Amino acid sequence: MKVSAALPTGVAALLFESAKRRREMEQRLVVRLVEAGYSEAILPILDYLEPYESLLTPASRGELYRFIDRDGEQLALRADFTPMLARLLAPRLHSLPLPLRLFYRGDVIRFEEERAGRQREFYQLGAELLGVPGEPGEREVLHLFLEALAASGSEGTVQIVLGLAGCLDRLLLGCGCADPAALASALERRDRSEVRRHCPQLLPIVETGLPEHPEDLGEAEGRRLRSLLALRDEMAGLFPDMDLFLDLAEFARQGLDPRLTAEQGERSYYDGLVFRAFAGPSALPIGGGGRYDRMFRALGAEVAAAGFSVSVDRLLEAVR
Amino acid sequence: MIRLALPKGRNLEPALAAFRAAGIPLLGLDPSGRSLRTRLEEGVEILSLKDWDLPLYVEQGVADLGIVGSDVLAEVDGDLLVPVRLREGRSRMSLIGRSAEAMPEPGGQVRLATKYPNTARRLVGERPWGAEIVKLSGSIELAPLLHLAELALDIVQSGRTLKENGLVEIETVAEVAACLVVNRASYQRHRTLLNQWIGRLEAAEVVS
Repeated sequence: MKVSAALPTGVAALLFESAKRRREMEQRLVVRLVEAGYSEAILPILDYLEPYESLLTPASRGELYRFIDRDGEQLALRADFTPMLARLLAPRLHSLPLPLRLFYRGDVIRFEEERAGRQREFYQLGAELLGVPGEPGEREVLHLFLEALAASGSEGTVQIVLGLAGCLDRLLLGCGCADPAALASALERRDRSEVRRHCPQLLPIVETGLPEHPEDLGEAEGRRLRSLLALRDEMAGLFPDMDLFLDLAEFARQGLDPRLTAEQGERSYYDGLVFRAFAGPSALPIGGGGRYDRMFRALGAEVAAAGFSVSVDRLLEAVR
Repeated sequence: MIRLALPKGRNLEPALAAFRAAGIPLLGLDPSGRSLRTRLEEGVEILSLKDWDLPLYVEQGVADLGIVGSDVLAEVDGDLLVPVRLREGRSRMSLIGRSAEAMPEPGGQVRLATKYPNTARRLVGERPWGAEIVKLSGSIELAPLLHLAELALDIVQSGRTLKENGLVEIETVAEVAACLVVNRASYQRHRTLLNQWIGRLEAAEVVS
């Protein structure tokens, strides 16, 4: 019988040189994480669905591969490491010494419409830092992320966009727009006419990524923005080959107020610093991260948490 | 260098007219030529793409920006920025049938022919009636005319084709405009130039 070598949509087999290149890239990143004091967590690919119910947005629910096990339990394939690690650690936190520095690697599986550049199975590597609150934790995670990208050999082509989850909530909710979640979406896609119609004071953020004065966002948000500008400048000095941008509109949908979360995307659990990176000649999205204390809170634990993940295969494409 | 993707179909002329009006002349471009890729003097490269492929080229960063119809954008669901829409060349997405009676009663079930199955599915999801969606790739008007489907969902510009074929535009579902779309990373990298271009398009009142 003649057997076809075709694979299902969105998955790939790496053979020979491509397998070697993946392992070499992975190793370069792992070495950096281990040097920084992070220890590995090996996680299962299959888990119960129930612990994640409270964390899922409609968008992330649509990505999950779910099924009923033979014993009747609802299971899901791993679509995101961060909530998996969080739900395993949350009940054990009281007995663990903080801070915790962990890294992971492995496949995540998400349903994506069939389209170029969208895999359903992809290999991720990431790190999580628990128990270092506020800016020091965010600084450590961002610095490690940039170090990992530098170790990957892609730094000459890397673009990082930084933002703050929730820092536009006050403006979005205060401008009298009947549907502030839709306005947040319009801001995120830089739709000028919608933004102009509902909240003209957001226009400078569409154009430059920033308000005219940080305090336009509110006192506390303004203070956070000033610290973030300083962090961006510090990192730009440490990684001169990377382009670091600060753009609040990029993360406009990552609001914290429940009135803004109706149109949130897949991974909208961030509640402080948030960042994403692009690399290679076509500037492919290669990873991102941020602070996500509220995820632990939703799981009944109080701990500061921040982390990042990178898509190893996208990174390989970027440095090719 | 910045790479601009221009559409081949009905949105090309309004796009070129808008750029001309804004004082972005795209010198050296021959819109009637067969070149798929033209490098202009001002550090701009033009790609000539089919409407349906254009969002992918921009999303994947092969092109930095492009012009594409909102009908296509709504169908392909790409991760793109959409700062402005052109005023010229607007049309509408409408439900079409042989007569207004083709519209089903609540609880009814019809066949709906379209080039836009995802848009049609979303539309039907909000209606009190159901529809079997028939995906076609062209001449959508023929479907209700020849009883392949009771309804069609398609672009209507002047409505002349419908009239000549004895069809009626039963309901306008959405306004369709050519949109300027920008790649997420390119928006950061080329922000100064893009703001300048968009500012000029706005000043010339050719976009909204």
